[in-house]
Amino acid sequence: MVNDSGQLYTMEGVAAGVIMLLTAYIVISTTSIYTPGDTHIPDMQLEQLGSDVLAMMDTPDTNGVKSDLEKFVVGDDSAGFEGMFLGYCNAKAIGADNLHMSANVTYRDASSNEIRDYPLVGPDNTWTGRESAVRVTRWMELEGNPSGVSGMDPSRPRVVLVEVLLWRA
Amino acid sequence: MACMNEDGQWIVLMGLLTALGLFFLALIINQSALVGQTTAEGVLEFPKNDIRDLRSAIFDYYDSYEELNNDLDRQRYVEDIVRISLERKNAVVHFENGTPQDVSGRMLRPITIHYNNGVTEYHETVYY
Amino acid sequence: MSLDFLAGFTIFMLALIMVVSMVPGLLAGLESSGIDYDAVAYRTGVILVEDPGWPVYPPWEMNDLAHKGEIERIGLAVSKETPNILLSTKVDAFFNDSFFDRDDYRRLAIFGDIPYSYNFSLSSGGALIEQTGDLLPPGYGYIRRVVKIKEPAVAVINGSFAPQYTAASSNQEFIVRLDFGQLLDPTIGPAYRIDPRTEPVNVTITDFGEYLNMTEPSVTNATLKSVTFWKMDPTRPIPQFTRIPFAYNIIDSNLYTLYIGGNQNPYSLRPDGGVEVSDNISLVLKPAATSLFTLDQNSILDIRFNFDDDPSRTNITGIHHYDYNQTNVTRPDLKPGVLEVAVW
Repeated sequence: MVNDSGQLYTMEGVAAGVIMLLTAYIVISTTSIYTPGDTHIPDMQLEQLGSDVLAMMDTPDTNGVKSDLEKFVVGDDSAGFEGMFLGYCNAKAIGADNLHMSANVTYRDASSNEIRDYPLVGPDNTWTGRESAVRVTRWMELEGNPSGVSGMDPSRPRVVLVEVLLWRA
Repeated sequence: MACMNEDGQWIVLMGLLTALGLFFLALIINQSALVGQTTAEGVLEFPKNDIRDLRSAIFDYYDSYEELNNDLDRQRYVEDIVRISLERKNAVVHFENGTPQDVSGRMLRPITIHYNNGVTEYHETVYY
Repeated sequence: MSLDFLAGFTIFMLALIMVVSMVPGLLAGLESSGIDYDAVAYRTGVILVEDPGWPVYPPWEMNDLAHKGEIERIGLAVSKETPNILLSTKVDAFFNDSFFDRDDYRRLAIFGDIPYSYNFSLSSGGALIEQTGDLLPPGYGYIRRVVKIKEPAVAVINGSFAPQYTAASSNQEFIVRLDFGQLLDPTIGPAYRIDPRTEPVNVTITDFGEYLNMTEPSVTNATLKSVTFWKMDPTRPIPQFTRIPFAYNIIDSNLYTLYIGGNQNPYSLRPDGGVEVSDNISLVLKPAATSLFTLDQNSILDIRFNFDDDPSRTNITGIHHYDYNQTNVTRPDLKPGVLEVAVW
């Protein structure tokens, strides 16, 4: 009555069970959960915001006057630039956001044909231990050298690139 | 073993089918998490604001074309844009203009703009 | 044999049950379906802020309820070349809850496959000025766009114009002239252009006491008989002004508003028996009316204020040009603002 011809079924069952458990283990251990930072969505939102703010600062409010951004760069006005930029960035319908920035201006030295830059707004105390920053840029046409900046080649009509680093503290 | 007893093979087959089903499910779930990620990466990658800004800078150059009264100034101006673009924006930019033509009563020059940042190319001929 | 079969089958079923109970753990990653929300919010933000909408001309905001189906896309930008600069008439039309309902917003601005909930807010000068949608839940997709808002220009004719616009032999007719060829000058960017086809024309006459006939000390007001519209096409061989047929007797606040003095009620353009004016007149001509006048980009539009008194009580006369001269027309500065789009 007892023989071992039915052991086959037991073996089949055990083998099937082992296959399924092994698969489930492999699948679960490889499923990756993406954090929002991996998806670059906050980077995209910050970059769009920063570009918008630079574009709006470069739009004069009335026809024919210089834009605010041009006045700040020509006058090397660090406090004014930072104040207006952060004012636009942090404005919300309800409450305010907490963004920080630093900026520098890149120009080309025609006599040595090098690309150099000088700081326009220095970073503040949230510079260390922060989330990754986003860089936004804007071209700026100047009729001469900005006042108060040393080390540039002789004054001429030129194009500079204003670069702003923006991060959330 | 004169003949292999294959009666129980259907159990293993069911086990194998379940395993395949799990792999398929895992594949779908893995791909679904990428939906938002690739959208955001696509937005970051396309240089929309860079191209708009560059066009605006080139138009400003042609606005002041008459005031830049010697060719050396003009050449330096163009060189500024091309070199800084290459160095800081990782993009190759080239632009040139033709002779002004009459477009519906106004004299406009055709400007050709070429932009290539390695991933996106942009070519345009515009009358300004 | 059957006992062993049962044993094998039991082991298989136990393993299957354990695996199936682990599957919900696989789906944990799918709870972050919120990843999609940010992408939809970004796309909606771009459509609202960088796109003038479709149809562009005639503008979508001029469609009334009967023609709402002709709107294909809602956009708030002044034009394709001026992203991030919003037109105030489009903003007012967009946030009009009595014109658009939820399905309209989803169909014309959000373009999603599933019915998303939304919240659009526009704030300027530190205060919320417009909002539509539902209350924000704990988690949502979000994008914030910084914009500037273009408000319509106003022609203010106050007492300082009195030396120019009074004459002893006045015909009691005061004309405000809009030369479309001058206004729609392509060298002026769309962000600073005065376009009566898309923005309201606002004429305000104040200090009317300066324009009264002061030789009669008892004169304290004058009678406004009518405000009429005339057009001329200067490209014709013999250009002349023709009166535009219009329902001057009917008050329609979608087409124009005329306020006289401190009176809260609007008047029609040809009030019965005339209206006594002692202080100010304020006329706003909406773009819906201008589109009825069939003007083209070379036309000249006259707004004529006719006073009718015998003997005349006002000596106002002359032509006030509604153009880009800052003393004639006050163009307000572009107002910075923030548009926030939340989708969930």
